[in-house]
Amino acid sequence: MSAGRLIAMARKEFIQIRRDPRSLLIALLLPIMQMALLGYGISLDAKHLALYVYDQEGSQDSQALLKHFQASQYFDLIRTVNNYHDLKRAIDSEQCKLGVVIPFDFSKRIRDSGSASVQVIVDGTDDNTANLAIGYSQAVIADYSAGVQHDWLTTQGLPVAGGGGLSIEPRTWFNEDLESRNFIVPGIMALVMALVGALLTSLTIAREWERGTMEQLISTPVTSREVMLGKLIPYFVLGMIDAALCAAIGVWWFEVPFRGTVWMLALTTALFLAVVLAIGFVISAGLKNQLAASSIALMVTLLPTSLLSGYAFPIEQMPAPIRAITYLIYSRYYVTILKALFLKGVGARALLGEMTALAVYAVIAGFFATRAFRKTLV
Amino acid sequence: MPANDAHAARASVEVTDLVKRFGTFTAVDRVSFQATRGEILGFLGPNGAGKSTIIRVLCGLLRPTSGRAIVAGLDVASEAEAVRQHIGYMSQKFSLYNDLEVIENLRFFAGMYNVPNHLAQQRIAGAIAMAGLAGHEHDLTGTLAGGWKQRLALGCAVLHEPAILFLDEPTSGVDPISRRHFWELIHQHAAAGVTVFVSTHYMDEAEYCNRLALINRGRIVAMGTPAELKRHAMKGTLLLARCDPLGPALEAAQTAPGVMEAAVFGNALHLTVGDPRTAIAALPAYFTRNGVRCADLEQIRPSLEDVFVALTGVRPPPAGGPAQ
Amino acid sequence: MWRRIYHLLVKEFLQLRRNKEARIHLILLPILQMVIFGYAATFEVTRVATAVIDFDHSQESRELISRFIASGRFQLAGLPANREEAREMIDRGRADMAIQINPRFAELLRKGQTAPVQVLVDAANSNSALIALGYIGQIGARFAQDYQTDYMNRLAPRYAALMPSATMDERPWYNPDLDSQWFFVPGVMGSLTLVIVMNLTAFAIVREREIGTLEQVMVTPIRPVELMLGKTIPYFIVGLAEVALVAAVGTLWFQVPFRGNPLVLLAGTSLFLISTLAVGLLISTLCSTQQQAFASGFFYLTPAFTLSGFAFPIASMPTVMQWLTYLDPLRYYLVVLRGTFLKAVGMDILWPQMVAMALLGAVLLAISVTRFRKSLD
Repeated sequence: MSAGRLIAMARKEFIQIRRDPRSLLIALLLPIMQMALLGYGISLDAKHLALYVYDQEGSQDSQALLKHFQASQYFDLIRTVNNYHDLKRAIDSEQCKLGVVIPFDFSKRIRDSGSASVQVIVDGTDDNTANLAIGYSQAVIADYSAGVQHDWLTTQGLPVAGGGGLSIEPRTWFNEDLESRNFIVPGIMALVMALVGALLTSLTIAREWERGTMEQLISTPVTSREVMLGKLIPYFVLGMIDAALCAAIGVWWFEVPFRGTVWMLALTTALFLAVVLAIGFVISAGLKNQLAASSIALMVTLLPTSLLSGYAFPIEQMPAPIRAITYLIYSRYYVTILKALFLKGVGARALLGEMTALAVYAVIAGFFATRAFRKTLV
Repeated sequence: MPANDAHAARASVEVTDLVKRFGTFTAVDRVSFQATRGEILGFLGPNGAGKSTIIRVLCGLLRPTSGRAIVAGLDVASEAEAVRQHIGYMSQKFSLYNDLEVIENLRFFAGMYNVPNHLAQQRIAGAIAMAGLAGHEHDLTGTLAGGWKQRLALGCAVLHEPAILFLDEPTSGVDPISRRHFWELIHQHAAAGVTVFVSTHYMDEAEYCNRLALINRGRIVAMGTPAELKRHAMKGTLLLARCDPLGPALEAAQTAPGVMEAAVFGNALHLTVGDPRTAIAALPAYFTRNGVRCADLEQIRPSLEDVFVALTGVRPPPAGGPAQ
Repeated sequence: MWRRIYHLLVKEFLQLRRNKEARIHLILLPILQMVIFGYAATFEVTRVATAVIDFDHSQESRELISRFIASGRFQLAGLPANREEAREMIDRGRADMAIQINPRFAELLRKGQTAPVQVLVDAANSNSALIALGYIGQIGARFAQDYQTDYMNRLAPRYAALMPSATMDERPWYNPDLDSQWFFVPGVMGSLTLVIVMNLTAFAIVREREIGTLEQVMVTPIRPVELMLGKTIPYFIVGLAEVALVAAVGTLWFQVPFRGNPLVLLAGTSLFLISTLAVGLLISTLCSTQQQAFASGFFYLTPAFTLSGFAFPIASMPTVMQWLTYLDPLRYYLVVLRGTFLKAVGMDILWPQMVAMALLGAVLLAISVTRFRKSLD
């Protein structure tokens, strides 16, 4: 390998990047746009769920129960309706997520022993929100019920046995406020890197083929490894700048904690970028058509990163065959590392497995990148 | 006869002070010319001279910045769509659908030109015969060789029997035999009364045209029949000088008294001089003084190539060779 | 006019039929993506690996633990002896949460005092953590309730029956099992249709511009509106076929019910396709190479997905983002898709979505047609 040729190659690439405002724009604007959009747009926190009430009884007891709902930060009591039809319509047209129906004999049943049941109708289309809504309503009703029992036992002069019941004391680690943003934002970084890497490399190499400059390049004594490195180094630098940009936005704008070390972040990001860029290179060297190159590049980088990396959708919940596939998805390891670095602050030792996996991928992809290019010379 | 007049108008082109600017760049600069029915008018000029731009304006693909262009009796600026019914166009780049069969391309363009069904059948058959593609109707167009593609493109462009044909470097990248064949087709169409515009940078092709417009930097620098151009377009007289060695000879000739221009042609020099008699008398001695041997010095008739070089200052590509 | 459009249609379909890549792009990839996405996209919480630290070793504590396991939501990952060991398990990813039952758990319960149960959660995935905590709360509440009833039964059987309580009767409508695939599959259908149709339309024009055939067509007497129709009608048809294909995968493979009126879906799909075609057309006017079209398409797609609510509820977004979602045609189409698939609602409910899509489609179409005409000059 000749350092002179390598530098000449990389310099040419830098000049072209600078002269091509469009790809520079993609490289710098895209991460910011994506971070802002996804950082704000992706939130699973179900708070202030719109709630309609159909209070058939309208008694003191039913009002007391509704106060409990009102007090909860998870529900916004929007309005009361007087029949099922209006409630159904509201749910159908997505004006509310759930409806609480208090039966006409609610207080009677409460006072005359036995249990009074409150109907909670949830729009089940969005199962996640529905699940959260059911959990929260359950808690509200249990709380109300415990209060009623406590009052009753006291008035009856009975011992309040087990009246306090259980108190669940959650200790949430790593993401104390249970902010979904904290959990999503580190993953978005992986997504952005995958996207930028794939888009940029597939852009640059296929373009060189289409313009015929690649043939000119091949006719010089430059080796395929020099071409590969010379082409990738500038994009690697761009990618690292993007990563820094993403991390900065995450930490200072979205206020996601960063508990790891910067050098670990830099090291693992470098590994991940090497993999993404090399894969982009293999694809665009193999497919000389720009369009095919970029759509395939997206297929193998962005899609698996957004679906199978665990950045938003938990891998443990996938069926076994799909879970097995995720081990092949290199972004899976990077997402794990990012989440650990941002939220957990664990050291290099705990992430050794993931780092090794990324390194193995980098070596394999690099090997294929040099080979793929040599093949096309013939 | 009025019918003949109508024909003549349909096939005529009249351009007055045409200007086309792209931003600050003037691609076509106050160009004026006329062409009449059955004429083959060649646009000759170096790359980037503005030949394609003129043709694209006349086809209504580009809007003129100023000036008038009347094609088939219609103003291209305001009636571009009507104009297109009367013209055929073939672009520099092969631009039929490679992934359609020969016959599918023809049917498609017949449809685009609104050729009535009962005529389309026969015209498509005619186009296939003309292109020599009989038996290849169902070949994918992308698999055809260059010359065939070129003739098929011409076939597609004349399905609606246009009165005027615009051919923008139609033979670039095609082998010499196919080019000759193609020019025969052009002449057939002209003989049938079609006005043909051809842009080219091949000198030998330029000779096939009835009239030539020499274009440089967006302007017509000379216009006339090839013979007229050779006779009148150049200032001064052309001398041929066989000298040795050639390099120093050229250097010397460029500064020689009485020599307006000097250029290398083959293994000799072409010198443009004001007064041939004085030059022939004085030059051998001048060359000797400068250490150059001059074996032969005679007056010759300029070729189109000489005219081209003299007027544009650009050397044309070797005649008959592949483009670029 | 119609003759020329007809010839354009024939040409477009001939090219599509010959294009092997298109077959993969239009048939194989959507099916593959539907299947993978259908399985991978889920926020459900089951099989939470749970470590249990039982300091009490009482009958009560064992009862509580067995209830957790029996719920099916939690899996016993181990029984660490102390918190440090539990923490270690969570750090190493061997457990997602730990439940700690303190000594005197049973004693406090018997005394009628509140017995604390500590739950240590790896909340890096806040959503899963929240849902898991919700389940723990529900199981804990039921345990306490039963304990209370039990206690009363033993202490004062007469009173036991009289003790008041309020319980919840949950009715998840439209998706009784809260199956996540029922939520995601219609969303994926809309997203896939958007990507495919938008890209096809944009590329169909840009590709012709790039190879020069567009110019050859433009010198024929064709009018811009004819060219535009000839270029969009085929992709409108392809779009309808695409929706039918992914809908078939959704209903046959994932068993998502289709309960509504197919005509309502057809109407919604048509309106959505119009706005999608308009975006594709717009991109084609802005780009001279397919590569640029590809990158520009991306700039539209990411916000279109994020703002559509296909995975992440719009109600959880900041207010400004919620306003932006009103500009996203996909947002409305997803409501139509979920409405017709799951809710069986008709035009009386979905008309606002239809109107919104029609308006957006008209505006987008007007912009792209004007630009398209200009780009041909």
